[in-house]
Amino acid sequence: MSVSLRSVPPPASAPRSPVRLQGDPGRPLTTSRGMSRMARQGLALLLIVWFALPLVPLVLWGLAEQWSFPARLPTEWGLGGVSSALAAGGAEAFARSLTLGLTVATIATPLGAVAARGLVNGWAPMPRTLTALLFSPLLIPAFVAALGTNILLLRAHVPPVMGLVLVLVAMAVPYTAFVLRTAYAAHDVGYEEEARTLGASRRRVLWQVHIPLLTPALARAAFLAFLVGWSDYIVTVFVGGGQVVTLPLVTASAASGVGNDAVVAVLSLAAILPPVVLLAVLANSRWRTEGAV
Amino acid sequence: MTPGPARFLVLVAAIPAAIVVVGGLGFTVAQSLGLLPLVGPARLSVDAYTGVASELPSSIAVSVGIAVASTTLAVLVGGTAAVLIVAGGRLARVLIGLGAATVTVPHLIGAAAIGLLLADSGLLARTFQVPPTDWPSLVGGPWWVAVILEYAWKEAAFVALVVAGTLTTRVARFDETAAVLGANRATRLRLVLLPLAAPSVILTGAITFIYTLGSYEVAWLLGRTYPEPLSVMAVRLYGEVSLTTRPEAAAVAVVIVTLSTLVAAAAFTLLRRSAVWR
Amino acid sequence: MGAIALAVAGLLTLNACTTPDSSSDTSTLATYTEWNEVLADADGQTVDLWMWGGDEQGNAYVDNVLTPAAAERGVTLNRVPIADTGEALNRMLSEVQAGRTDDGSVDLVWVNGDNFRTGREANAWLCEWTSLLPNMELVSSADPLLTEDFGTPVNGCEAPWNKAQFTFAYNSDVVTDPPTTVAGLLEWAEDHPGRFTYPAPPDFTGSAFLRHVLYSVSGGYENVPAEYTEADFVDLTPELYDTLAGVAPFLWRGGDTYPADSDQLNSLYADGQVDFTMTYGPATLTQLVEDGTYPAATKVLSLEDGTLGNASFLAIPANAADAAGAMVVTDTALSVEQQVAKADPATWGQFTVVDYDKLSENDLSAFKALPESPVVPSFDVLSTDANPELAAEWVPALDEGWRTSIPAGR
Repeated sequence: MSVSLRSVPPPASAPRSPVRLQGDPGRPLTTSRGMSRMARQGLALLLIVWFALPLVPLVLWGLAEQWSFPARLPTEWGLGGVSSALAAGGAEAFARSLTLGLTVATIATPLGAVAARGLVNGWAPMPRTLTALLFSPLLIPAFVAALGTNILLLRAHVPPVMGLVLVLVAMAVPYTAFVLRTAYAAHDVGYEEEARTLGASRRRVLWQVHIPLLTPALARAAFLAFLVGWSDYIVTVFVGGGQVVTLPLVTASAASGVGNDAVVAVLSLAAILPPVVLLAVLANSRWRTEGAV
Repeated sequence: MTPGPARFLVLVAAIPAAIVVVGGLGFTVAQSLGLLPLVGPARLSVDAYTGVASELPSSIAVSVGIAVASTTLAVLVGGTAAVLIVAGGRLARVLIGLGAATVTVPHLIGAAAIGLLLADSGLLARTFQVPPTDWPSLVGGPWWVAVILEYAWKEAAFVALVVAGTLTTRVARFDETAAVLGANRATRLRLVLLPLAAPSVILTGAITFIYTLGSYEVAWLLGRTYPEPLSVMAVRLYGEVSLTTRPEAAAVAVVIVTLSTLVAAAAFTLLRRSAVWR
Repeated sequence: MGAIALAVAGLLTLNACTTPDSSSDTSTLATYTEWNEVLADADGQTVDLWMWGGDEQGNAYVDNVLTPAAAERGVTLNRVPIADTGEALNRMLSEVQAGRTDDGSVDLVWVNGDNFRTGREANAWLCEWTSLLPNMELVSSADPLLTEDFGTPVNGCEAPWNKAQFTFAYNSDVVTDPPTTVAGLLEWAEDHPGRFTYPAPPDFTGSAFLRHVLYSVSGGYENVPAEYTEADFVDLTPELYDTLAGVAPFLWRGGDTYPADSDQLNSLYADGQVDFTMTYGPATLTQLVEDGTYPAATKVLSLEDGTLGNASFLAIPANAADAAGAMVVTDTALSVEQQVAKADPATWGQFTVVDYDKLSENDLSAFKALPESPVVPSFDVLSTDANPELAAEWVPALDEGWRTSIPAGR
């Protein structure tokens, strides 16, 4: 019996709103009018200022050759910060950070999914203990986790890079497990059961029904896991044993000296770019639920 | 996936966490009790705790104060941003982008950025041409303003993205149903939006609180010399010249973890009450 | 419950593991007796040099000058930038604590003072290897600046790299009548409220400032015994803290808070919020004035009481995986070519550790031909009446005393 799984209907047949976050059918409580709409827009503008303002000095400093106090704007513009950042090994560090972030996301997302599914469906043994354990890395300050775990990993002769990934995965799983747990809690297994009834194999159901339905949540989880690897400093220094010189390491060491504001700004801006690009990609076209199903 | 292999896989997912808990916590507790000396014989004692006892009350007060203020601000701003994001529109799209950019900034860099913005010679002082002596002491001042704003800024973005994420997957359907059943806007907000958002708000709030309690860079860079937050004290003691202060640093770390655990326990109690989490 | 059980299990395993034998104070000695053996082992090794990365010129010197020279001798040099030397030490000590005695990830550290002493206490450095280096011939064996590191005997556990002199710098546009003593400096601060401050100890620079004031209030360094005793501490420090508490209300922000580290003080100076800064690394001043970070009128304060002098070193951890390679890098760093290149203010401007008396005519002229910095005087001028450093035990005691009596005592 051949069935086109592509004909599975999207979970919500709501009319599309102009903007959606990662495949969201959108627009609750939204179709506002008049005054309320203006208030909402004002509030949104205020929030945009709140989030953008601290980034402004970074952009200005990144383009400043010289900016003596109390000048309103840089006294001399230039791209000296960029060349200094490259000389400091910024490009190589950028690539290493990217690899580290992607590695952590690749491991922590499926682990989080498995844990979340087990917890929601009641397969997991001792669910309360397990939940506590999964979330416990969040309770331990990063410097404590790094220093303590390092002793254990060194004693066990775990290679530094492996140890680094392991600790970062542990720190990322709480995020992925949480995001996916809420997603699974709302997840309707009806579609999968239907597909199974229609004769699709387990594997096919997993890849063509289950994962597409959860894609928005998986993408969000992967994004957060990526960030854990991407922005970590202290675990990379201690557990990574200096073998993985990432962007935060180069940035922090530059930030510890005076007169480096331009380099630090350029390195910081470089650190903001990939996640934003990643998010834009995730939020777009084929990652949407509708597009994938 | 059937329960059999899934059970096994769930345990695999917990292995990294177990290693970090045993390593991070186990070794720290052992060190605080004098069982892991760098030099000399191991000896069980609570000297490290009594050594820091006199400074703990003021440090706990500062740490908790900063965490409460940062978390409150982050949840209010982030929650509002989430609702606006879910509502959609062009501005929402900008908010998502900016929120994502903010989330990616490492706290160390965030602290530098906030410093460049709020310091006596920062961007705002330059823009409004206020001389340093007239500028309020936001950085290093008595109210820890720059520190609290840094945490609130970064964590509000985190709260916004996570809450918006959970809302978008579910609010549409429930909201539609409620609307079809005749619920007005206020009722829908109270009965649909808030309960749906509650679990992620509680969780991200708890994460923010705990993170603020445990991280030291921001408070060290933008804070003041005295009194010290717990984390700054712990890191100072770790880095101190004499090797004997390390157990004291570990003792302070244990205090931080204990406080974090209390907050987490409270958060989970709240979570269990919320219908959606179940 | 599971988490607790696991933690307990972890504790049990940990007790079963052997803690490194640290009760004996035998240092780890180099196993080499011949330089040729070192060269043979070093060929093909990759040396991880952990060094503070906040100085762009220093980074560029290592990457563009030292690394190619090491490569010519068959050693790959890999610079690991860190924000604080303590991070290298923490990594090493963790490895030692875990019983990893021969495959450490840190091969070479730029270090001195308290970090060196902490490593010595934990027997974490390789010792008695510097005499193997051919270029150690160029270094005086009688110079107390190089045989003792903050009162801790060097004993061949680190090789000298740079000399440094504690330096106060000021904006001569604003400070037209600069003080000539440390006491005068504090008076100047009282006369000009809000225009002077110092980094909060235990910051390295702030801590050195404390020692200058201690020397000053004690009537000169001769009156402060280098060896630490509690009696001397109780005897000498009340006046130090009284003086600093007296000047506090006149400092930046009324002494309500202090810059957390020397970088923050430097930023205050760069932004014209204070008129003095201080540093243990005057090498950076030239560049900072040249690129406009510091005011063009920045000058080095010359003090009648002299300032503290020290040296910084390259040390090899006892458990370094590539110790032979690290020795070759160190030997290269001590060569005349490298020391000359490094002393050039356009490259890095770090003062050399080689003894001019031991140089050939030719080599000496290479040093003499170096351009002078427009800001920083030569080492000979700067180190006139140099004060010796106190034993490293003084440092934490003075820092802790400051913390409890100045910011906490308000």
